[in-house]
Amino acid sequence: MTILHLCLIFSALLFSLGLAAALARSSGILVLLGIELMLNAANINFIAFWKFSPNPENGTGAMFAIFSIAVAAAEAAVGLALIIAIYRHQSSIRLQDANTLKG
Amino acid sequence: MNYSALLKAFMPEAILVFGALLVLTHDLLGGRGRSHEYRAKIAAALGVVAVCIAGWMATTEFTLGATVDFLANDKLAFGARLAILTLSGLTVLFIGGTSKVKNPAEHVALMLFASSGFTLMAAAQNLLVAFLAFELSSLSLYILAGFDKTRRDSAEAGLKYFLFGGMAAAFMLFGFSLIYGLTGEISLAGIAAKLPQIPLSPLLIVAFVMIFVGFGYKAAAAPFHLWAPDAYQGAPATSAALIASASKVAGFVLLARFLAALLTKAGSIEIIGASKGWLGIFGALVIVSLLLGNIGALAQSNVRRLLAYSAIGHAGVMLLAALVTGVGLELPEVRNNLLLYYVFTYGIASVGAFGVIAVVENNGGCQQLSDLASLSKRSPLLGISLMVSILSLAGIPPLAGFYAKFSVFETLLRRSSIASAQSLDNVIFWLVMLAIAMSAIALYYYLQILKQALVVSPDKDQPTTPIRVPFMAAVSLLLCMITLIAVGVYPDLLMNLLK
Repeated sequence: MTILHLCLIFSALLFSLGLAAALARSSGILVLLGIELMLNAANINFIAFWKFSPNPENGTGAMFAIFSIAVAAAEAAVGLALIIAIYRHQSSIRLQDANTLKG
Repeated sequence: MNYSALLKAFMPEAILVFGALLVLTHDLLGGRGRSHEYRAKIAAALGVVAVCIAGWMATTEFTLGATVDFLANDKLAFGARLAILTLSGLTVLFIGGTSKVKNPAEHVALMLFASSGFTLMAAAQNLLVAFLAFELSSLSLYILAGFDKTRRDSAEAGLKYFLFGGMAAAFMLFGFSLIYGLTGEISLAGIAAKLPQIPLSPLLIVAFVMIFVGFGYKAAAAPFHLWAPDAYQGAPATSAALIASASKVAGFVLLARFLAALLTKAGSIEIIGASKGWLGIFGALVIVSLLLGNIGALAQSNVRRLLAYSAIGHAGVMLLAALVTGVGLELPEVRNNLLLYYVFTYGIASVGAFGVIAVVENNGGCQQLSDLASLSKRSPLLGISLMVSILSLAGIPPLAGFYAKFSVFETLLRRSSIASAQSLDNVIFWLVMLAIAMSAIALYYYLQILKQALVVSPDKDQPTTPIRVPFMAAVSLLLCMITLIAVGVYPDLLMNLLK
């Protein structure tokens, strides 16, 4: 088993953990954390594939990871804003309480 | 890479972003102390001007002559950019007359940011650009959906849209990382060249499926549709119009590009288990979307949820249209037109329908079907434009929706009879048959809307006062109506544009 394999297994585990958190948690912020974990798993993939690629000097994978970290930060900002917006109406961030829209 | 080529290629997007900043600045400086109506009109006018200039730039040699390797410069990108800008412009016009949206300038600015994301999505030739554009448009749309802070519905719609979207984006990014790892490339052309040399591994299938999750979400295709009814119901009508129209165009054009790069040039109709593998996934998406969308819509009494479920149903047909384009079932000059014609006319009809809802909302709520009662008496213009939009969505000739559906079905059926792979024929044949059957079901719920608007007389407790249609909204509704009729009667107006 090479280091690349270990990295991929680690990122797959991280992705699964994030998905489990996003699906199972009821707090809006913890779901957001789960989504961030999923994004980070993909970043680890990019870095690992870049480091062990035949031509790491062009830096494609690292560049992709840097951009996606920036996007993840923007996403967290928007997500927290929306969580605050919902908190003002229902005084909680439990997703089970956000049930006025259904059908 | 030189910066002048970059500026040329990004000119339409640069103008959109500049326009958005201008709208914000003007509202901050010139809008202080003015009435809401004035600020809304100025913001909408500036926004429309920015969209028009961006659209004009997109057609000039200045932008078309640019060559950067990560933005496509083909007919599909050209047509999609124009379609997206048209739809955004028509949507922005409705802000000019609405009293429902607080902070109109921010609303317009976000719409322009979202539009620049859409146009980049439509031209992306590179995984990184595709991902960034996807997120730029999505992040703007989340805020637009949750824009009305005073209503609980809107905040909830925004949050739900965000949570589904964030998860879909994470899936897509993970899929991209696997594709990058397998091929060592992030440009679509490079991937298309490398993929055929790679054996079909489970990892590759995982990557394809994860990317399709992302597109399924953007397209609101079942089973990734769960956000759509809630977002359409809770979001301000103008935001819903953008989510239903320009977002769809961008998503499907990008999907067609990915299909072309990941599947066809990879020769994957042969390598991926003789078409059974991915066509199975694709077919399942189409079937579930058609069934769930159209049958779900039958049960709705809320007009926005009804439109959302019908959008899911339409996503099924659009996936078929993307198949024609992406897999190259037709000559290049025809197949791009089919997809663009379908999503564009669908977008125009959606803008028309949500525009009517936005105007009705100025004079009280517009959620239930019964809120539309005797609309044609309260305002003949609204009644007629709702009728044209809804009938076009249903696919009644001579409106554009009919020719859109007809041409997609006709192409698929004709090509499936002469295609070589026997299994491919059968799958596509039955998919088209299902889509035709579902179009008949769709007519029922679309006519329910029209029955309320044109025939039913209102209850005693409902308002019967005439509705005043703001000037800008009236212009937009008229343009939608004229486009739907003109393009429906002479489809070549649009079809020849891209030849």
